[in-house]
Amino acid sequence: MSNTDFDAIVIGGGHAGIEASLALARLGFETMLITQSLDTIGRLSCNPSIGGLSKGNIVREIDALGGEMAQLIDKSMIQFRILNQRRGPAVQAPRAQADKFLYNRLAKETVEGQKHLQPFQDTVTDFILDHDSRNIKGVVTERGRRFTARTVVMTTGTFMEGKIFIGDYESPSGRIGEPAAIGLGSSLRRLGFRVARLKTGTPARVSSASIDYSRMEEQPGDPDIIPFSFANETVDRPQVPCWITYTNEKTHDIIRANMDKSPLYGGKIVGTGPRYCPSIEDKVVRFPDRDRHQIFVEPEGLGSDEMYLNGISSSLPETVQESFIRTLPGLEDVKIMRPGYAVEYDFIDPRQLLPSLMTKQISGLFSAGQTNGTSGYEEAGCQGLLAGINAAMYMLGRDPLILSRSEAYSGVLVDDLVTLGTKEPYRMFTSRAEYRLCLRHDTADIRLSEKAAYAGLRTPVAAEALAMKVKGLDEIKDLLASRRVGKKELEAAVGRVDGIEQRLGESFEKLMKVPGFSAADLLVLDPELENRNRRWLEQAAIDIKYEGYIGRQEKQIRRFKRMENLKIPVDFNYDTISGISVEAIEKFKDIKPLSVGQASRISGVRSSDIAVLLVALGRGAGVSEDDE
Amino acid sequence: MKELTYNTEDPIAALATGWEESAIAVIRTSGSDAIGLASNIFSNKGGLQKAEGGTIVYGYVVDPETGERVDEVLAAVFRAPKSYTGEDSVEFYCHGGIPAVSVVLSALKKGGFRDAAPGEFTMRAFINGKLDLTRAEAVHEIVTARTARAHSLALNRLSGGLEKRIDGLKKRLLDMLSSVELLLDYPEDELDGQAGEYPLDAKAVSELCADIGRLAESFKAGKVFRDGVPVALAGRTNAGKSSLFNLLLREDRAIVSEVHGTTRDYIESWITVKGIPLRLFDTAGLRASDNPVEAEGIKRSGEVIAEAGIVLYLVDSTEGLNEEDEAFISGFEDAERLIKLWSKIDTVPAAGEENDADIPEGFIPVSSVSGKGLNDLEDALSEAALGRKGLEDDVVIDSMRQRDLLSRAKEALVNTAAAAAEEAPLDAAAMELRDALDALGEITGEVSSADILNNIFSNFCVGK
Ligand SMILES: Cc1cc2nc3c(=O)[nH]c(=O)nc-3n(C[C@H](O)[C@H](O)[C@H](O)COP(=O)(O)OP(=O)(O)OC[C@H]3O[C@@H](n4cnc5c(N)ncnc54)[C@H](O)[C@@H]3O)c2cc1C
Ligand SMILES: Nc1nc2c(ncn2[C@@H]2O[C@H](COP(=O)(O)OP(=O)(O)OP(=O)(O)O)[C@@H](O)[C@H]2O)c(=O)[nH]1
Ligand SMILES: [Mg+2]
Repeated sequence: MSNTDFDAIVIGGGHAGIEASLALARLGFETMLITQSLDTIGRLSCNPSIGGLSKGNIVREIDALGGEMAQLIDKSMIQFRILNQRRGPAVQAPRAQADKFLYNRLAKETVEGQKHLQPFQDTVTDFILDHDSRNIKGVVTERGRRFTARTVVMTTGTFMEGKIFIGDYESPSGRIGEPAAIGLGSSLRRLGFRVARLKTGTPARVSSASIDYSRMEEQPGDPDIIPFSFANETVDRPQVPCWITYTNEKTHDIIRANMDKSPLYGGKIVGTGPRYCPSIEDKVVRFPDRDRHQIFVEPEGLGSDEMYLNGISSSLPETVQESFIRTLPGLEDVKIMRPGYAVEYDFIDPRQLLPSLMTKQISGLFSAGQTNGTSGYEEAGCQGLLAGINAAMYMLGRDPLILSRSEAYSGVLVDDLVTLGTKEPYRMFTSRAEYRLCLRHDTADIRLSEKAAYAGLRTPVAAEALAMKVKGLDEIKDLLASRRVGKKELEAAVGRVDGIEQRLGESFEKLMKVPGFSAADLLVLDPELENRNRRWLEQAAIDIKYEGYIGRQEKQIRRFKRMENLKIPVDFNYDTISGISVEAIEKFKDIKPLSVGQASRISGVRSSDIAVLLVALGRGAGVSEDDE
Repeated sequence: MKELTYNTEDPIAALATGWEESAIAVIRTSGSDAIGLASNIFSNKGGLQKAEGGTIVYGYVVDPETGERVDEVLAAVFRAPKSYTGEDSVEFYCHGGIPAVSVVLSALKKGGFRDAAPGEFTMRAFINGKLDLTRAEAVHEIVTARTARAHSLALNRLSGGLEKRIDGLKKRLLDMLSSVELLLDYPEDELDGQAGEYPLDAKAVSELCADIGRLAESFKAGKVFRDGVPVALAGRTNAGKSSLFNLLLREDRAIVSEVHGTTRDYIESWITVKGIPLRLFDTAGLRASDNPVEAEGIKRSGEVIAEAGIVLYLVDSTEGLNEEDEAFISGFEDAERLIKLWSKIDTVPAAGEENDADIPEGFIPVSSVSGKGLNDLEDALSEAALGRKGLEDDVVIDSMRQRDLLSRAKEALVNTAAAAAEEAPLDAAAMELRDALDALGEITGEVSSADILNNIFSNFCVGK
């Protein structure tokens, strides 16, 4: 077929790189995963947890699309919770504490066990391109090795020209104790890519043995564990608690008094940090009125003494970190094992990517993960998976897999990145998604199964599991429509289900629509329902309860799709259009939107620009209105 | 998007003022070579070509085929981008009236311009970035404004009055949504102290809903100002309709005589009452007639009356009410559209307050001779046109698109209020709020998800 060493090379064995390389290898492409250390494949750099609001949805989307993250966390979790139970089904999400050492080992084993995938330890320093620098040909490593390939997926995380800071201390590293990957950032700049700096930070890890837990609130996991992977029926893992404590005025005073020693406020760090996940220094400066901040104390792993202090990330000198951490209840005598630090690294402006995550400038070169300006394992994972799939589609000569904003959080993420770019580490929020009632975590399989099949990553097991679920859901819904609250049911439920007295004769379906009634109440009315799959019952109950809202959301989606379905050719010549503002033309040429919908989301583009664009496209310039 | 099919390169021309009689009419042209083309049909060709933007040249429009001077005009020259459309443009101020306007337009067509489609000038202005959508819509009314009041309403929108109003509504909505989104974006246990109450206040939602509804309602008033309201004078023969018609016009347009059945066919004219443009129709008096011409006139008058927005029904006070009058009045379905007048009140002997008692219930006494009752009549007309409250403020909408979007926002807020009342899950309530916000955003320009996040972070203190 070709005379390259590999079909694909993936640079970096982080959460993006794992998904990209596994997807490519599973689709039969000879793939090399080059990463700086084989021992750090899938390392959780920061929180020992996976999931959370909207992120948990992404993990389940990754699973539905044939990715690995859900399996890894299902096998390594040490606490499970559903967040935001009370806020409504669309924004509930699963989150799990991971045993980070186990997670890391499982990730390594999975990569090692994958056919067509060759892990290799080295650092990539440069690209090999064809004569006119339009196509990727391979990579060059630090040790001078040259590997050729048809496609390359770049997932360098926080390592590209990474630099870490603790007070005065700084070191060229991507994570503490791990060297930065030097060279690639300069190569990209030389090739004309827009590369800039971002920063993020991590808190100290402390010794569990030195903590007085009696002074903290305990936060246990949920009794019922919902597996992240749709292929897993159950998860049988030990659960351990997390703990909650708070900062106080004393903590804040110490931080304020030492602000001049912060590399951030001292001006050493130039990269922009995440507004949404700020360091404790940031919080104290930005929210001077708050007299306390909540801190979660989370275990790093079952056999480990290290505890993670979620919410107190800092790059102040170690001695300062120690003195302010010791002002927190329960941490008075704590021993720091690893200090908190900040890391600054290169990322490429993601507006240089097509929605397939391939660079516009160099065909065959894809980029995913933190390198694209995001932050978070889940955000990295879904991009890695999509980049891997699309590298495969590129080699197969097929259309890329592009998820719509109305189909998946992953689609929102990619669209935001390539259309709007980012000025700070981008993390997912439910509010970024316009159609989140249709992006529930429990529907990821239904939403994305066809996409997985298109990509060739739908396993028979997953297909079978989905078919059973769809059938099961239908049966339950039929049953709920036909079952009524009779005398017998009423007797069983009086005193146990509020307000049931007024519901005699009503169908279960109708009952579900009444505010306040839940799937749990149905089980009281009819214990037989216990025999049904509990998760399906809950899902059916939500579907019924929110039928009206979901219907309206679907209507909104149809409206949205009208503009999304107006396609613009990638090579569309904007210079021939008169009447569009110069600014908009520049932006269109830079972003190369693939639909009028995407074009309308570019910042600074006015509705009149879109009107003219529509006129121009309508005049035979190659507009196609396909209804999927 | 089907309507956006104009070819934006053609030179176009059209009458910018209304077709009805007026002293001066404005004919507007636009296109990249509009000045060159216009100069070909202009007596002072060189003067027009050399004229600077924003200046006026005097001369004659010349028919390019016959060489005949068809009208004496002032030509205002505008050079791109400083023109209404953003393109080169010439506006001709010529004599009013259909004949004068027709010959100038025909000369322009022979000179290479084509008739502009409705809204095409504004469309070009919009495309060339001269106007945003709400302003584009407002321009339309300025051009077609019938009265000074209508003109100032449209101007207010052009200057962004509507935009400001909608921005205010949007801001309230965005704050509401942000307080919800904040709770949805962070887990309950991480929002230390901020998570407590249900963030939506049903009362505040309803208030906002009412304000949006009020703006949507103004569509009706806006339409009144844009299109005018047809008002028909009706009544038996000799009731005094034509006399009142002339009085309202302040001009002797209609023939008045004591002969029953003087008016044979309806006549119409524009009048202004309290700034409201009205299209007033005088009609043939209603009676059974064997005369085919009169019968036809009565039939046509019947149609006018049926379609009128307001009907002024006159009963001659010297004659009193008879069965025919009773039949007409009781047969009138929409009572708000009917104003009943007790005419020729000056002839009642011993005129004075005391004989008011003789006036039937609900009738306004008027006299076309003394002018008595004219004020009351005008009040009644204004109320019938705009509703009892009249026009509450100076921002009105009058495009259907805006009305529909406002109605969509209102409906979404009604749903939100219902959700808030039962403390429904926030994600569902948020969907409705977003829909409302989207609808408002579409009127002036988009609100993106990024806006919502920014608002959250500018207004709230978030821990984590
Ligand atoms: C200090 C710190 C703080 C963080 N804080 C947060 C936080 O608060 N919230 C949050 O959501 N996320 C945080 N993260 C981010 C989270 O760890 C990342 O988002 C996630 O790991 C990104 O995955 P990735 O696959 O893109 O990159 P990474 O997980 O960083 O993996 C990149 C991998 O590529 C390898 N590599 C890089 N360059 C080369 C090269 N040239 N050649 C060969 N191999 C290479 C590296 O060795 C590494 O193994 C933090 C990370 C760090 C380091
Ligand atoms: N004194 C007095 N005479 C009036 C008044 N209005 C009308 N008239 C007289 O009534 C007669 C009929 O008036 P018109 O205005 O022609 O009545 P009309 O309703 O138009 O009649 P037709 O066209 O025949 O249907 C004329 O002789 C008028 O001068 C009024 O207010 N006071
Ligand atoms: Mg008459």
